[in-house]
Amino acid sequence: MNVGGDALRALVERDRDHECDGLGAARVCVRVVAVARLPTRFGNFELVGFWNNRDAKEHVAMVHGDVVGASDVPVRVHSECLTGDVMGSLRCDCRDQLTEGLRTIAAAPRGVLLYLRQEGRGIGLLNKIRAYALQEQGLDTVEANEALGFRDDERDYAVAAHMLRSLSIRSVDLITNNPEKIRQLTQHGVNVAGRIPHVIPPNDFNRFYLETKARRSGHLIDVAEKRLAEQSDPVIVEGMPGR
Amino acid sequence: MAERDRVLVIGAGVAGLSCARELVSAGRRVAVLDRARGVGGRCATRRVAEQAVDLGPAFLHGSAPAFLEALLAVPAARVPGWPLAVHGAGRPCQPEAFRAGEQRLAFAEGLSAFPRHLATGLDVHLGARVERLEFRGGTRAVLEGGEVREAGTLVLALAPEQAQRLLEGVADAPPAVRTAHALLDTSRSDPSLALAALYQPDREAPPWHVWYPETSDVLQIVSHDSSKRGAPPFLALVYQARPRWSRQHADDPAWPERMLEEAGRLLGEWALRPAHRHPHRWRYARTDWASELAAPLLLQLEGGGRMGLCGDRFSPGGGIEAAWISGRELARRILAEEVA
Repeated sequence: MNVGGDALRALVERDRDHECDGLGAARVCVRVVAVARLPTRFGNFELVGFWNNRDAKEHVAMVHGDVVGASDVPVRVHSECLTGDVMGSLRCDCRDQLTEGLRTIAAAPRGVLLYLRQEGRGIGLLNKIRAYALQEQGLDTVEANEALGFRDDERDYAVAAHMLRSLSIRSVDLITNNPEKIRQLTQHGVNVAGRIPHVIPPNDFNRFYLETKARRSGHLIDVAEKRLAEQSDPVIVEGMPGR
Repeated sequence: MAERDRVLVIGAGVAGLSCARELVSAGRRVAVLDRARGVGGRCATRRVAEQAVDLGPAFLHGSAPAFLEALLAVPAARVPGWPLAVHGAGRPCQPEAFRAGEQRLAFAEGLSAFPRHLATGLDVHLGARVERLEFRGGTRAVLEGGEVREAGTLVLALAPEQAQRLLEGVADAPPAVRTAHALLDTSRSDPSLALAALYQPDREAPPWHVWYPETSDVLQIVSHDSSKRGAPPFLALVYQARPRWSRQHADDPAWPERMLEEAGRLLGEWALRPAHRHPHRWRYARTDWASELAAPLLLQLEGGGRMGLCGDRFSPGGGIEAAWISGRELARRILAEEVA
């Protein structure tokens, strides 16, 4: 018996005829299209695939437990980062943020990780590589990053808000260290009931990463602001300076 | 010619015709069956009060070079770029109607010029309704009236729901058939209620070719059909209803009146009373945007037969272009696997 999964599968049928006025300036709309079980090393999830009306990016939600119609659901919003999530890049902490998010959610009775696809199509990934190349030349500026298309935050939040709405989640406990995320989602109609700090436990990899960062400027958050902000969350690592 | 080289295509829409044409040009013997009286399926033009009216898609559009070439090969007067004047952006909750880099066109005699051209020289049997399929001891289609047609390769070029119905009726279905059934079950078509309305020509023609209303829960597209014709006697508009509304009203006998009421609200009183009208109910009008598959399907059956599925569902992007591409791609796979 899989009550949560059945409730998610019913959303596919419901959304075939979904119509709305869209969220945000871009009038974003998403629909639940496909659901399947996804056992992971972190625990058992249901993978929910979304269609959206604005581009070909296939956003997904990793759902753990019964969330349809639920309140105070722990939610983590993660933006795709191929270099970090998949390749384990040390230029960012995306992978740690992703795995810790999934771990936190799997340990709770229920929760959702929204995985927003940023680099699936178009020039997102190529321009990120270009931005890294600029960094290597010491030309990493906010202006250059903006010219390269980093990035349409407003649309991301509208997508995330609509995904939560599509999952019929009544209220969320946002897993974040970033008050801006709470503000933006609230603005798009998400009922943010609480916040769960996103704390990354130390391990060999982020220790190296943090030491590298420390060598470069000695101040965690400042460095994060100068770098490409793949995830808009400042990092908090257990036991490390900056906490 | 060996039995196994014979191909039977069920459905003479753009996908089935495209598949058959490609196979015939490679020397295969192909028969195409369709239950309708004409070819083209949903790429349909009807004569209403002697005037040609496109009741399915309002125009052809695409970007694949081979598809555009196929359109240019049609011996009919083209209306290039139609619709040139597009009004409205539709409800916000749908993708942009036009993709960058696409070409669009219509034919002055109606869009069915395209499938009629594709059917030229093919062995097409109209008014042939397939009652059931059999896969034991050969691949056969049993027609209404009892006629049995055997083929080495069977191609279902139908709306997924129609293909599904035929597959559901297969007694003791082999694994390949169950696979096809499960795949088709993951997706669904949107219906569309279409109403052609012809108004007296003294009515001033609207300044747009196609209108995507932004505030209507009823109408998705209004096509100014007569703007595609040379010197049409009537002002012809074709109203197409939104998927949800179409689903809700498919069995309501008053749906044409309800659509006219909405047309009156959007366009003005005059739109309520056309001189002629022609309603058409498309139960499986178009691929749901989220239901697209990447490629046609070719399945090996026990005993050496094969079954292929193609159609606008079986190529990204949907519509006539996807139908044409999927049919051609399926034909190429049928030919390639024969050689192997």
